[in-house]
Amino acid sequence: MRPSYSLYINLLWEEMDNILIVDGVSKEYPGRMAVDQVSFSVKRGSIHGFLGPNGAGKSTTMKMIAGLLPVTSGTIKLFGEEVHPEKRNLKNKVGLLPENAPLYPDMTVEDYLRFVGKLHKIKDLEARLEKILTDLWLTNVRKRIIGNLSKGYKQRVGLAQAIFYDAPFLILDEPTNGLDPQSVVELREFIKLLAKEKTILFSSHVLSEVEQICDDITIIHQGKIRASGSLQEIHKKFRQGLVLRIGLSSGETLPDLSAFGKYETGSVQHLNTEDQYHLTFEADRDIRPELARYLVEKGVKLHTLMVESPELEDIFLHMTETRR
Amino acid sequence: MIWTLWKKESQSYFASPLAYVLIGLFSLISGIMFFNLLVTYSDGIQALPQNMTQTVSFVEEVVLRLFANINFLFLVFIPLITMRLFSEEKRQETLELYWMSPVRDWQVIVAKGLAAMTLILCMLTMTMIFPMIIWGVGIHDTSVLFAAYLSVILNAMAYISLGLFCSSISGNQIIAGLLSILGIMFLWMITWGGNLNSNFLIAEIFTYVGITSHFERVLRGVIGTQDIIYYMTFTFFFGFLTAKSLDRRNW
Repeated sequence: MRPSYSLYINLLWEEMDNILIVDGVSKEYPGRMAVDQVSFSVKRGSIHGFLGPNGAGKSTTMKMIAGLLPVTSGTIKLFGEEVHPEKRNLKNKVGLLPENAPLYPDMTVEDYLRFVGKLHKIKDLEARLEKILTDLWLTNVRKRIIGNLSKGYKQRVGLAQAIFYDAPFLILDEPTNGLDPQSVVELREFIKLLAKEKTILFSSHVLSEVEQICDDITIIHQGKIRASGSLQEIHKKFRQGLVLRIGLSSGETLPDLSAFGKYETGSVQHLNTEDQYHLTFEADRDIRPELARYLVEKGVKLHTLMVESPELEDIFLHMTETRR
Repeated sequence: MIWTLWKKESQSYFASPLAYVLIGLFSLISGIMFFNLLVTYSDGIQALPQNMTQTVSFVEEVVLRLFANINFLFLVFIPLITMRLFSEEKRQETLELYWMSPVRDWQVIVAKGLAAMTLILCMLTMTMIFPMIIWGVGIHDTSVLFAAYLSVILNAMAYISLGLFCSSISGNQIIAGLLSILGIMFLWMITWGGNLNSNFLIAEIFTYVGITSHFERVLRGVIGTQDIIYYMTFTFFFGFLTAKSLDRRNW
């Protein structure tokens, strides 16, 4: 059978829309599968959160995308071209801030950035240097030795290095890890600004951070992808049934719900604050009116009945706990 | 590009006290050696009867011995210089900076080798005082000195390439340094193997592979094509191994 043209058009469209396509990528070390059949894609102009606990395979995957590690199997396509450590075609197009920023402790900030600029053969080196130093608030430490800087400043110098040659795609491996709260906020704001003109793959194990700045997320655990898509999609996909919060008048207890029609009750969780319960129903639509009627008929004094949308954190914990 | 990389490496050498300590120590030790050789030579001359003084060669007893001793000093000094070149970058995880840029592996290797050679040349410049002294006492043989300097520079080139390779296989400076010391000693020992073996062919092979025979020939001014080929092959071989070892990141 002849493949349909619409299939080709779809594939082409996908390539145009996605800067990065990771397809069935695995990385095997002797006796250990670090990354197992990972597939996801990153949309042009988005901030893509790459989420997972420590040792999940985030850094390995990011290194493979950056072309620093070869894949054992599968393909990685960046800007429509296949990534391979031997190929040099994607150099200058990818900016990388690895988990440990590649800094020379004996160099001054400006000498270091000049060196990076020369490695990438930047034309207006001095103008670029001034812009980056200003953008990342590094002007006051420009003459200082990197080894003597605080962790926050070092991380900023690392980021300065990654964006120095104006690569359209940035890979940032846990950029806010180990920073003080002030630096974290500043760095996040800067990353948001960067996203206006760049596509960013951003890894983290801090969920709230990913929720705040990312458009799409991919969750990885033990080398396998657990979920990938936009924040809304993930929420929708992993809403394990319908979670309702039921608040009763003080002193009331929750009646037996086993008789509640065709709906099977899931886990009942008593919240310590007042007489509040979390109930999970295996339902794909809102059952609040029916439940309210049922409870009132049972003589329960109901004062709250609301849908709880699960936090990303819950989804994440659920996925990384239960499959351990 | 090599210029940029060389400049960065050289600056990094001279930004730390290690370079100055090494240059100072090298000057001190080679100075003491030179002084001892001179004293031994003059004592020897004075102990001999008048008619036999011409049989003792100044070049043989002082100049050649001095440069053979400098070669011996390299056993420790060159590993100290080369051990950090790659192992330090591995430890700091800064090699990624190169891999993310259009720089080629061989450019990095050559630049690092040249930076190490620069430091060696600085050390050798300090020994220029010896020829001046010799000149002052009336011995004006530039070709001897030229050959002597060429011999230690060629040897340094070979040792640096070996040191670079050792540095590229270990993330630990000390291990890299010890490996290069062992490597250099091994190169010397191969020649001894050549002396011991009774089989002519094997003895020849041992002598050719070992560095000492080539060093001695160049030192005495008998510079043959085979020696130049030997030093070139040696340096390229270890440069190639270094490149392969850096490629290991791909495993």
